[in-house]
Amino acid sequence: MTEQISDQTSAFIDDELPDEESAFLLRRFERDADARGRAIRYTLIGAALRDELSPDHMLLRRRIALAITGAAPPAQRAPSRWRSRWVRPLLGVGIAASVAVASIVGLRALNDARVGSGNPGAASSSLPLQTRAADGPPSYVVPQEVADAPAVAPAVRLTNYIVHHSEYASRLSRTSVRSNVVGAAELLPVTQQEQQERQQPLPQPPPAFKRGTPPE
Amino acid sequence: MARSLLRHPLVFVTLAFCADASAEEARQWLDKMNRAVEDLNYQGTFVHVLEGTAETLKIIHRNADGRSGERIESLDGVGREIIRQDNEVQCILPDRRVVLLEERKDISPLVSSLPGYTDEIEPHYALRLLSTARVANRAVQMLEIKPRDEFRYGYMLWLDRDTAMPLKSQLIDDQGVIVEQILFTDIDLHSAIPAEAIVATIDTTGFTTLRPPESSSLAADIPWRAAAVPGGFKLSVATQSQIAGSQYPVEHLVYSDGLATVSVFIEDPHTKSEVSEGFSKMGSTNAFSLTLRGRKVTAVGEVPRQTVRTIASSLVTE
Repeated sequence: MTEQISDQTSAFIDDELPDEESAFLLRRFERDADARGRAIRYTLIGAALRDELSPDHMLLRRRIALAITGAAPPAQRAPSRWRSRWVRPLLGVGIAASVAVASIVGLRALNDARVGSGNPGAASSSLPLQTRAADGPPSYVVPQEVADAPAVAPAVRLTNYIVHHSEYASRLSRTSVRSNVVGAAELLPVTQQEQQERQQPLPQPPPAFKRGTPPE
Repeated sequence: MARSLLRHPLVFVTLAFCADASAEEARQWLDKMNRAVEDLNYQGTFVHVLEGTAETLKIIHRNADGRSGERIESLDGVGREIIRQDNEVQCILPDRRVVLLEERKDISPLVSSLPGYTDEIEPHYALRLLSTARVANRAVQMLEIKPRDEFRYGYMLWLDRDTAMPLKSQLIDDQGVIVEQILFTDIDLHSAIPAEAIVATIDTTGFTTLRPPESSSLAADIPWRAAAVPGGFKLSVATQSQIAGSQYPVEHLVYSDGLATVSVFIEDPHTKSEVSEGFSKMGSTNAFSLTLRGRKVTAVGEVPRQTVRTIASSLVTE
């Protein structure tokens, strides 16, 4: 999905896309199975993150398919100004889009999620691990796809090291490490904060550290 | 009332026993998960979420006669693929028009020396069973793994009640921020997987294939060691490895605390390295690279940045 299509989708979700462009976007979804597939996957992501896949995780797909064929539930009906010649397909995509919006809210909540406060990730904390819900009204943003991200193609050698490393990773981590290679096709550039960190002395080792001969 | 109860020796001993029993049960769940991810046949779709991006991936894992194979493909983005079959790992990078071929290591005895989920991890992680829940329409047992210092990540796992397969997992840093989440949206745990399912689906015609050079004599003794490693990390493997695309072998050290693993690669001085100095990362895998005694040293692992930096920077020759 190009950046332009992402922007259009975002505007469409916000009900800010002109009618002509909305019609164009719908036609795009009708003929572009790839884009349509992505949209459905976004709905799955959102539903999964909100634990709404059970008890029937296929329900969402069926609802979207049903809506696109014109049998949308009344609660999901579009505003009256949309009742034009493309209202039926628009309604269908609108439902898919609204679920995608929920996905983004879910994603945002997930990415903002912290466990408790202070330093709760450490074992000394008695707070249970919980993610907090997003505060404030939802903001509608189309998810940034990996392909659209301002990614720097990773050095093949580093990719190779990580593939090599994955063979030694614990079984708990292997899928994660391999997903990083397969999915996150980006090597993030060194940030200013990281540059500053590099200038700082190494962290104070805990007592369990083993010390040998310092490097020359 | 509660305070006076806690002062009672019998109550105190009972509570301590319950805590031990919970940790022991948690370890048993971890052991069961460890076997499940390798021994079961499964295929499914999962969402990989990190740093504001979400990607859908498909995994097919096959175990036949004790030999496992696996294919992970990206359904979004650039459509990369990793196939692990027989003695080979194939990584297809369509964005680079490159195929990386690696020798598969986990069938070698080297990996058996990696620490298991024994009570050795207890000083560095606190394990706790939490409630039950449902993920992908299956009942799951939640398991919390909290690190006791900032040199490793914590985990929250949702393990299938029947098989212990992790259906959802979160990687959590010492500030409690979720670094990464993996979540199955659907999974089939019981189907027989045909061998043909573990083959590449990308047409690699015209791609550059990088493979390790023909086996040459590899050094048995690796003189390099990390002088400073966080508590619990032990040297599991020290070997020379052939790396695809490089004519010189790379010295490879593996440090593990039983859950997290850090690999240190020390390049031959003749190698013209393309790894840039300093921090880099690929998803949730952190890397730190620097030059020591004319060698490019790179540490990578599913650990916080300071851990790869600490280990890489402390490398010495014995």
